[in-house]
Amino acid sequence: MVRYRDLIEALEAAPGERPFVTSWVNEDEQETVTFAEFRRRARLQAEMLRAHGVTGGDRVIIIVPQGIPAMTIFVGTMMLGAVPAFIAYPNEKVEPSKYRFGVAGVTANLSAKVVVVDEQFPDEILGHVSLGEHTRLLRTGSGSGLGREELLAAPGQCGRVAFIQHSAGTTGLQKGVALTHAAVLRQLAHLSQGLKIDSATDRIYSWLPLYHDMGLIGCFMLPMAYHVPVVMQSPLDWVMHPETMLQVISEHKCTLAWLPNFAFQFVPRRTRPSRREQYDLSSVRVIINSAEPVRTSSMQEFQTAFAATGLKAGALQSSYGTAENVLAITLSDIDRPSGPSRIWANGKEFRSSHHVVPVAEGSVGSVCFTSSGRLLPNHEIRIVSDTGAPLGEGQAGEILLKSDCLFDGYYNRADLTAKAMVDGWYCTGDLGFCVDDELYVVGRKKDLIIVGGENIYPHDIEEIAASHQAVHDGRVIAMGVYNPDLGTEEIIIVAEVESEDLLANADEIEREIRGQVTAALGVSVATVFLKPPKWIVKSTAGKPARSATFEKLRKEHPELNVD
Amino acid sequence: MTEEAKQMIEYILRRIRKPTLVIDENTSLVSSGLVDSMALGDVVLTLEDLTNTRISPGAVKPKDLDTVAKMFATAQRVGKPRK
Repeated sequence: MVRYRDLIEALEAAPGERPFVTSWVNEDEQETVTFAEFRRRARLQAEMLRAHGVTGGDRVIIIVPQGIPAMTIFVGTMMLGAVPAFIAYPNEKVEPSKYRFGVAGVTANLSAKVVVVDEQFPDEILGHVSLGEHTRLLRTGSGSGLGREELLAAPGQCGRVAFIQHSAGTTGLQKGVALTHAAVLRQLAHLSQGLKIDSATDRIYSWLPLYHDMGLIGCFMLPMAYHVPVVMQSPLDWVMHPETMLQVISEHKCTLAWLPNFAFQFVPRRTRPSRREQYDLSSVRVIINSAEPVRTSSMQEFQTAFAATGLKAGALQSSYGTAENVLAITLSDIDRPSGPSRIWANGKEFRSSHHVVPVAEGSVGSVCFTSSGRLLPNHEIRIVSDTGAPLGEGQAGEILLKSDCLFDGYYNRADLTAKAMVDGWYCTGDLGFCVDDELYVVGRKKDLIIVGGENIYPHDIEEIAASHQAVHDGRVIAMGVYNPDLGTEEIIIVAEVESEDLLANADEIEREIRGQVTAALGVSVATVFLKPPKWIVKSTAGKPARSATFEKLRKEHPELNVD
Repeated sequence: MTEEAKQMIEYILRRIRKPTLVIDENTSLVSSGLVDSMALGDVVLTLEDLTNTRISPGAVKPKDLDTVAKMFATAQRVGKPRK
């Protein structure tokens, strides 16, 4: 049940003395602010912004390293009734021209009043960027603070846009997802219920970036509105010291975390076995796997690696969601001791008819799917075919969504919003099926390959190709290219080899990959393009980017440019 | 070049899967994109092993690890002896 009119009212209701954010750098360097102190600092930021002309409805872009200052600027913006949006802070490798292009694009689309950067923000990055005549660039500083009454004089924000989340992408043209206070609060109420949040005993751990929905919603808005302490470290510090996740959870007895699938392998593989037993994960109630396809093998690796730490069976669960629905759409049953449900299906049948025919676990030719759980309350999905016809249980199609948490549209992009919404349903672009009221997500609609009427999921091909010892795991993309002579698509694979010298054996490796795919899936692969390490283009989220990689491929291989 | 620096170079070449690449102590690794953020965790672990130190989170930034020479200088500056 939603208890507050807006997110600021929820923050104001938090007990002042309760710890809110702990910024964890290492065992000797940590800062904890209580809810009262957080509110005080947010008001200071609000005053700074107001002094620079920010008022209700204005958009404010925040490009500040992860931490308490960034969070208080975000909330300070909302206190004014203005609309904040986080953008990723530039890293060492970023090309200034590309970054400037991205910031300029987002700033123009949002018609931002202010772009806030920190004092260390590199001058060469924003040196000559054109932010538009109405946009002001601010470096963070301190103000003298506003009275609480003044800042609460912006009531009734419930139906107004609270903030804007940006989707990941390979260019600066990211879509700004506008979310109202009401939608966010309803989503948080559903999450709180599904996760059985207890503000007196729970404590969230996070290294997730705040410009990502799991970081912003799951690890900032949820604890803020439900008065739960959160312990955060910077994504960069975590990726350089992944084992510290275990240290933080142990030290602070954290109970809840959200992680993308890759982290379930990344952490155990970078924690020496001899050190694992020194950690205590017995406090963990649940770690949610979300944001990318959930793999049972990754979760099993984590569970096995840290069994001796007291990690409870069933602590690893799953969720499916999208930024357009604030965060989550489904959540697995956190009380289920064996974790999310799994189902084995006849692979050939699934590919040819999009239909799940259950088979015994591990059967030859079977495919395994991991459930993303059941729908949150007040959520409804439809699984539909390409023609929009509703599909039944066990039949895979596009997932359409109606809920009480849906976004208000893509900011300033009515064209994109109209394209995404059909008769009140949000077209997720994801493919999935339902069995026993649980949702299984199988891939992205636009990535599906159709060969002679048979539906091929790129993920199936990629998993086989990646298992070849010469291919770098995770650096494979399979896609369909239309062949006008055949009147259908052909399968092509782009794969990075482990090292450049392996390209000398390209013919043999290609032959083996084709043979393995054909043997497992019964389909032919037209071409395997073997490429040196780091050839495949990655998205800002670090995942192989299909369209950008295909464009690169077309440039190198003009024979693919067939109309 | 010290034996440890040689070992680090060998490790990095294995890790980035470019055994034929020639790099030295001053080759730029992070800013050039040869070593990505996901590999930095492995580099830090190896640096700790080679220097028998512990490098605290927050004490290093990617620019401190941009070359092999900088890596060892950083370990000397911020590394704490292992218990």
